[in-house]
This record gives sequence, structure tokens and C-alpha cells, in this order.
Amino acid sequence: MSIQKDIQELLKAEVISKEVASKIEVYYKSKSSSSSNKQFIAFGILGAMLVGLGIILIIAHNWDELSRPVKTIFAFLPLIVGQIASGYTLLKKDDSVAWREGSTTFLFFAVGSSISLVSQIYNIPGELDSFLLLWMLLCLPLIYVMRSSIASLLYLIGITYYACEVSYWAHPTQESYLYWLLLALALPHYYLLYKNKPNSNFMFFHHWFIPLSVIITLGVVADTKEELMFAAYFSLFGLFSLVGNTSFFTQQKLMRNGYTILGSLGTVFMLLMLSFSWFWDEIRDEPYPLNEMVFSAEFVTTLILTILASGLLYWQYKKNGLKALQPTSVVFLLFILTFIIGFFSVAAVVLINLIILAMGILIIREGARQNHLGVLNYGLLIITALVVCRFFDTDISFVVRGIMFVSVGFGFFGSNYWMLKKRKANG
Amino acid sequence: MDKKKIILIVFGVVVLAQLFIPAKMIWDKEDVLETGTEYKFRTAPVDPNDPFRGKYITLSFNEDVFIVNDENSWERGEPVYVSLTTDSLGFAKIESVTKVPPTTHQEFVKATVGYVPGNGSRNVTIDYPFERFYMEESKAPAAEEVYRDSQLDSIKPTWALVSVKNGEAVLKDVLIDGVSIREVVKNNRENIE
Repeated sequence: MSIQKDIQELLKAEVISKEVASKIEVYYKSKSSSSSNKQFIAFGILGAMLVGLGIILIIAHNWDELSRPVKTIFAFLPLIVGQIASGYTLLKKDDSVAWREGSTTFLFFAVGSSISLVSQIYNIPGELDSFLLLWMLLCLPLIYVMRSSIASLLYLIGITYYACEVSYWAHPTQESYLYWLLLALALPHYYLLYKNKPNSNFMFFHHWFIPLSVIITLGVVADTKEELMFAAYFSLFGLFSLVGNTSFFTQQKLMRNGYTILGSLGTVFMLLMLSFSWFWDEIRDEPYPLNEMVFSAEFVTTLILTILASGLLYWQYKKNGLKALQPTSVVFLLFILTFIIGFFSVAAVVLINLIILAMGILIIREGARQNHLGVLNYGLLIITALVVCRFFDTDISFVVRGIMFVSVGFGFFGSNYWMLKKRKANG
Repeated sequence: MDKKKIILIVFGVVVLAQLFIPAKMIWDKEDVLETGTEYKFRTAPVDPNDPFRGKYITLSFNEDVFIVNDENSWERGEPVYVSLTTDSLGFAKIESVTKVPPTTHQEFVKATVGYVPGNGSRNVTIDYPFERFYMEESKAPAAEEVYRDSQLDSIKPTWALVSVKNGEAVLKDVLIDGVSIREVVKNNRENIE
């Protein structure tokens, strides 16, 4: 190990004392053992996952030459192996994360393969959604009993798949309100992770999986007043931006902050979509009886999300002042105003374009302030996207569009050059 | 009682539930197979697939429409009870469809309303709970072809053999002219080779 040589050298040169030298050695030893432990966990999970999925695939072949009793044995075999492994882990290897996560992963897939094989043997039609629901419910307790984050992540994938199956892909579709209950049942584990291992990799995955699952599934409440869902999604993305802006997240690397990234990208994406006039033409043409709207699920969802986001916004504003707020985290309030204006006036689409422009500029400014090229260029990309969208609007003159492109291009060169120069000057 | 013990007890309960659910599924189905009444439903198979459970053929049944008095009182997806009888050739026939389980001794199947036309034709379609027949992955597409070919020369009857008991139904086999479709596919393959 090269560090050993360095330590010897530093000892000889009397830069560090013997005591410090031994401390350094102990530190590096413990560090390398924890990283090899991490690898062991990762490979344990990956191995169990591959074997589990492989078993499901092999079973899906439908071995119709095998007799019913033989098939029945195979339905229970992986399940029992997984249960024994998990039981052994609980009794003997309770402290080993690798054992807990690995055996739970295998058991998770074994439960699925067992139900699916029984369905095949008896030709049980049960649509995919009821199959997934049963599977997830049977595996939900594993999250807590085995204290397994992988079970939690797989469960999140499973319930999201379930909600999509019920509400987006099935005919006829239904609203899967059950999803929210299922999600709530997984949240205590998230909280425990936050309490006990706030910087673990599992926490990192949860920071992405939970907001993603909610983003995918929020659309299930859409029924006849779909237009309102835009407001609901804006408030959701605003809420995520604000959650990502809490002190717990701002201390971490941006990559770990799924809330900020998804909240910001979502807001920008939605704004760009609504910067075209089709949406606004549509809501002006359609009659919207107020009483019908107020009692729709879409309205209630929007209301709840907006209240949550506004509350968090107010709290952060009180605590840290206006400067600490992200530009993306106030868009949802502006959108609601614009949305109301949109019922009466064509000005709404102009307002949306102005909001995007303002957001782009504020993000560029933020990037300059933080001396962060990534953030700066993200702001520029937002403006570029806006300009590209307008490229397709035929009712703007070619000259104006040309000037817009040229100026944004110069903006890219100029700001990056300025930033790099500033960095050089600083050291 | 310490925490460890509680966790182990809960784990035990979870293990039992995970074993119990598939076992109960098997038990219920075996009961219908053992003691249920067999019906032959005329059918036509097509082949889709399921990401977890593999290939199957979907059966579309000839006897899946009944005439109602008032279309508006039937809703897609609502559970219905189909009382069964047999026609002169021995194939299953719908005797009546009700919204509550029949109290007579006649056999019935619990099904759901599939399609309500809404154009005044009063023909309501039923979705039976035995529309999937899982097959080995290479055989499922072949099964559809075999069926199609069997309809070309002289129309051979194709039917699903279903065991029925107290509203529950288990699909036993799909047969073309009295031979299991699995066998037909297998024989076909051997003939080609």
C-alpha cells in the first residue's frame, strides 16, 4: 500500500508523530474494509436479484410436459429456500447487511415465482394488476421484518407498476387510490433510513425512487378535468423543489438530491409544453362549470398539493429569506394565476413564455453566483429550449426568430467565457 | 418479550402467509377439479403473453352473449352469475344470467359483464374467469395456428374443458376435436419433422 510508504516517509521527516501515524493506518484500514463490505452487499443483492428473476423467467416457459404435482413442488421450492435463508439470516447473521439484503431479495422474487407458477398450473386468469398486488402485499412485511431497503425499493417499483397497470393500461381504467395507501406503508422505512443512515446508498436510491413513483402515479387521479392536472403537477414539482431545498438536502451532493432535480426538470418540461397555444385555446373553448370542477378529484388533489407546497414555501421563506429560494420553487403559484387568466385571455401563453425566460435568467444568475458551470448552462439550456419551441411557431417573423437564436448563441459563448475567466482570475 | 423475539414471530407469520396463499389457491382449484361438474365451452384461441407468467392463449367463447331486458341496468365489470346447461351436442349453454347467486341446484359460474353495447341491441357480453390457458412458450403461438388450420378444411369443434363448482371454475384443458391442444401441437411438430 502506497500510503504505508508515505507514512514512513513522513515519520522519518518528523512531520507526523508515531501516534498520528498509527491513527492514519487504522483509519485507512477501516475505510478499505467498509468499502469491501459495500461491494459484498452490492454483489449479494445483484446475485440474488439475477437468480430470482432467472427463476421467474424459467418458470414462465411453462413446462407443460411436467405433471401437476411436480410443478407444485417447483412452485414451493424457491419460496422455501428463500424463507430458510431469510430465517437463518434473522437468527444467525442479523448484523450483516449483505445477508439481510441478499436473502430478502431472493425471497422477494421467490414469492412472485410461486404465485405465478400456481396461476399457470390452474390457468388462473387474474389480470396482471391483481397478481402484482398480491405479490407486493405478501412482501411488504419483509421491509420491516428483515429491515431490508432492497425490499422497500422493489416494493416501490411493484406498486408503481401496479398503479400504472390499473389506471393507465387496463381496459376499462380505474383510479387506483389504493396506491397511496400502499405507498404510505413503505414510508416508515424511508423515515428509519433518514434517522439511522442518512448518507447511505440506499437512502440515495430512495431519494430518487419515491419522487419518481409519485410523479408517475399522480396522473391516476385524472378523470374528466384533465386540464387541472397541469396545476396539480406544477404544485407537485414545486413541492419537490422545496423539499430538495431543505437543509438536509442542500448539504448533500446534487446527484443525491432527486427532489431538486426532478422538481426542476419537471417544472421546466411542463412550462415548455404549455408555452404552445394549443392548451390555452382548448381551455378557453371548453365550458368549465365551477361547481363541477370544485368537487372533482383533480381539483382536490391540486388543492392539497398546493397547500402543502405553499406551506413549505412560506416556512422556508420565514427561515432563510427570499434569497435562499430556488427559482423553480415558486413557479407553481405563478402558474395557478396564469391558469386562471388563461380561462379568459390569450395573455396566459405570453405569461408562460415570460416565466420560462425569467426562470432561465434567474438560474443563470444562480450559476454565476455559485460559480457552478453546470447550473449556469442549465439556465442557458432552458432559454435555448424556449427558443427552439418558438422556432416552430409560424406566426413569429423569421427575423425575430433569427435574432433570438443568435442572441442565445452569443449568451452561451459569453457567459461560459466570462465564468472561466473569472475562475482563472480567482486562482 | 424482547424485540428479537417479536421480529421472529412476525417473520414466522409472514412466512406462513407466503406459503398459505399459494397453498390455498391450489387447494381451492383442486377442490373444483376433483368434485366440480365438467362443461365444454366452444371456443377460439389467440396468443398473447404476460411478463411474469409467460405465454398463454386467450380463449374467446362462442357462448358469451345473453339478451337483457334493459341495457342500462348492466354495467361493465360488474359481477354476474351465469347458470349453465348443455345443448344437444353436449356443449355448455347459458341458461340465465343473474346479479345474485342462483338458489336452484343448477351449476353456475361467477363471471363479469364484459361489454354493454348501448345501441339498443340488448346483447350483453360476459367475461368468463377462465379465459387464459398457459402453454409452453413455443407452443402458444403454434396453438393459434393449429386452431386456424383446423377451421380451414372441415370445421372441427374446439372447446375448453372447464370444471365448475359453486360459482368457481377451473380450466382443465383446451381440445380440438377431442384431442388436447398441447397434443395436437406436439403431433403436428412430429409430423413436420
